[in-house]
Amino acid sequence: MVRKSMRFLAMICVLVASQFGGVAQTRMPQMKFSDRTLANGMRVLSVADSSSPTVAIQVWYHVGSKDDPDKRSGFAHLFEHIMFKSTKNMKSEMMDRLTEDVGGFNNAFTADDMTVYFEVVPSNYLETLLWAEADRLSGLNVDDANFKSERDVVKEEYRQAVLAPPYGLFQYYLQQRSFTAHPYMRPGIGSIEDLDAALLKDVQEFHTTYYRPDNATLVVVGDFDQKQLDGWVDKYFAPIAKPNRPLPRVSVKEPGRKAEARFTEYGRNDLPAVGVTYLAPRKADPDAPAVYVADAILSAGESSRLYNALVYQQQLAAEVNSNFETREDVSLFVLTAVLSEGKKAEDAEKSLLEEIKKLQDAPVSAAELEKAKNQMITDQLRQRETSNGKALALGEAALLLGDPGSVNTDLPRLQAVTAADVQRVMKKYFTDANRVVLYYLPEASKAKKEGN
Amino acid sequence: MNTMKRVSLLFVLLSLPVIALAQTPQATPPAPAAPRSGTFPKPVEETLPNGLRVIVIQRSESPLVAVQLLIKNGGEVDPPELAGLADMTAALLTKGTQSRDATLIAQEIESLGGSLDSFARWDSSFTNLNVMSSKIGPAMEILADVVRRPTFKSEEVERLRQQYLDNVTLALGDPGSIARFVSARVVFGDSPYGHPIAGTADSLTRITAADIVKLHSRFYRPDNAVLVIGGDISAKDGIELAKRYFGDWQKPGALIETLSAGIEKPQGSPGRVVVVDKPDAGQAAVYLVRKGINRKDADFYRGIVANSVLSGYSGRLNQEIRIKRGLSYGAGSSLDARRDVGPFTASAQTKNESGAVVADLLLGEIGRLSSAPPVDAELTPRKAVLIGNFSRNLETASGFVMQAGLLAVQGVGLDEINRYINTVQAITTSDVQKFAGTRLDAKTSNIIIVGNAKAFLPELQKKYPNVEVIPVTELDLNTALLRKKQATGE
Repeated sequence: MVRKSMRFLAMICVLVASQFGGVAQTRMPQMKFSDRTLANGMRVLSVADSSSPTVAIQVWYHVGSKDDPDKRSGFAHLFEHIMFKSTKNMKSEMMDRLTEDVGGFNNAFTADDMTVYFEVVPSNYLETLLWAEADRLSGLNVDDANFKSERDVVKEEYRQAVLAPPYGLFQYYLQQRSFTAHPYMRPGIGSIEDLDAALLKDVQEFHTTYYRPDNATLVVVGDFDQKQLDGWVDKYFAPIAKPNRPLPRVSVKEPGRKAEARFTEYGRNDLPAVGVTYLAPRKADPDAPAVYVADAILSAGESSRLYNALVYQQQLAAEVNSNFETREDVSLFVLTAVLSEGKKAEDAEKSLLEEIKKLQDAPVSAAELEKAKNQMITDQLRQRETSNGKALALGEAALLLGDPGSVNTDLPRLQAVTAADVQRVMKKYFTDANRVVLYYLPEASKAKKEGN
Repeated sequence: MNTMKRVSLLFVLLSLPVIALAQTPQATPPAPAAPRSGTFPKPVEETLPNGLRVIVIQRSESPLVAVQLLIKNGGEVDPPELAGLADMTAALLTKGTQSRDATLIAQEIESLGGSLDSFARWDSSFTNLNVMSSKIGPAMEILADVVRRPTFKSEEVERLRQQYLDNVTLALGDPGSIARFVSARVVFGDSPYGHPIAGTADSLTRITAADIVKLHSRFYRPDNAVLVIGGDISAKDGIELAKRYFGDWQKPGALIETLSAGIEKPQGSPGRVVVVDKPDAGQAAVYLVRKGINRKDADFYRGIVANSVLSGYSGRLNQEIRIKRGLSYGAGSSLDARRDVGPFTASAQTKNESGAVVADLLLGEIGRLSSAPPVDAELTPRKAVLIGNFSRNLETASGFVMQAGLLAVQGVGLDEINRYINTVQAITTSDVQKFAGTRLDAKTSNIIIVGNAKAFLPELQKKYPNVEVIPVTELDLNTALLRKKQATGE
């Protein structure tokens, strides 16, 4: 089970990367949500749905790994773990007592732009959880022993995510090499040295700086009575004061890329891997829907262009993928391939770039466009099957687009994407100068090369 | 969802501090309201004249349908030298039929916005379809085509073989997956659950198209299959679809062979301590493994409750290893009750230096389950976890379909779904203690550690002089010996 984790981020990106489409004969459920902002600046979004006697509660904080303090990479994520320790009125792990022990669950994830805490519980526990979330927003009360023990857990998470799997470092390097100025260049999991350097006093400071009602969005989806929910929110969240300090925001702008950059790294992988990234439009950009469609055409399913070319036809790759990783300031479009036995990284790179070029040179057919849109509709329906999934969609829309209503308009926006739009964004963003290429080769091949 | 019985029990537990500290209402959590109850939909079933069992579960909250076509045999029927045969056979279904090639199958299903995957597990092989309910007709036609009329062209066999070989290479780079492969060999020896289900480099090289055709004709037949349809579809429409696309699937004249994995007595010799030395491992994977139970064992519910005391975020293993000591990102266990006796596994990944400590902690907690069984205050929440997980799995169409399919393959009636909560609630402390004492004896368990041996071996050897050390380059998953013959000088 992945919990209190960075890994969750990858899943979110995948889900988010594919939430659009359109087919006339399918009834697309609309989310009827309530939207209010308290006097202290906290936004509250809710969808009442009594199909199951459970409720999902999420608190989205607009602070993420990009806000890690200087020389403290991984801090926002470490902090997320600490939020499950002693708070103003709860002892360590009490959140587990209030969720897991009554048949629910809790978890959290840290992304570049945000940190999200969530619980799903039997609906008669809603008020209890609102109290608990308000409590940890009000203040932390962590001791040094707790802090150090949880930091050790995060170091094990780093080892498990980055060092143990053969391609963990590949993903890590790919993010580092894709930015030159923006703090997005620091992988959210951090490094052992920076984690070791973190101090208990940093925790208090981070909480004071970022965990405030005007930097939080509460999302509640499931079995509740709207009036009752509003009353509980007034009771537990409204009294939390909005601090009279400015909220720091990252202002660094990632400069546009001027020329292709190439890197080679070595690891404990047996099969070479290739990664190619392009800086891409922010999620709120009008070009984003067309890039989502391009992403689906490239890598959704076995009929996708990359799978068909690199895995099926040319048998160059064991795995191939693309992902439109949307971020608040600047997004990244990432293509990766793990090679099949005996194949060369150069050949895989060439094939990846050929597929990009094909999408630039000729418009996709109506059938291919329709296929991509249908795949996105199904993905969105599946993402929104549960209360927790619906809440994730709503929170994401509020935070990254500033418009929770986009949960109901993103499909029509996708539906409007034309073949010409796809071709246009492929030409605009997938340029030679906007490319970073990373080869991730087996350590053994380095020794061989040097020996020759 | 019926998650309610546990809630009323917990009401008492959580109310106590509220009363004790009532003078500062903000300082303590408000007590829960009265629980609301729900029920699980009741599956409707019908067996067609050709023997195909059809199960339909309607839940129409989302316009989605999930379908699973199960064959009641999987990796356990692989001949010993052909590990991976059932899985390759299943995976090849979607790679060509008499009327469609692999590319066309992918294109057609994905144009409907659907997905179609097939693979084998232990005791069964699956073909899974997920699609919008408005597209279910044409999608079912493709599902039936791939299950009933696959061609297994040699070109596709070769292509898939290379993909499987690459996957073996990828898996052998990861300490956790190596530990899982070794665990199966240690518990099951050379018996059917012992081999890697997706094969080894040696076995994959031996598999021929003829082997695949033979396996398909033996096991893929309507009287050895179950079709489960769930989601936004009525029982009547579901049964009609099944008849339209599978009604004329001919049952062969010969009776179906009944095979058992034959591991009432798994062949592995218990008490092994195996270290696979992978000097470049970024972490050590530490596994405690032993034989567990089969699904029809009278102790099944005692077993899953006992396991839930150990496993899950607040289970004893994670409490001791992660929460108290910061030694791992997560520790847990599983009791995999298969048609025949399956494994019990407790595991954690940790820095190489802590490999021996974590092994001790795993063993200690297994022993403590009978020496210090959970009192009600511990047991009640763990049962709530089990029930909550079960209920949430049934919230999605695909989750419900998978649960019904699993019961069908294991030969358990579907009424079990609505009996689950009460049966779990009835388990007591002494049930857990009895199960732990008789079925999870630490002494007959095995320890597997895959990692950089230099960092933990001296400490481990002090406790277990019988430890077997196998360099990863000499690891052989084809047999329970686990070691390449030439390397031992034979």
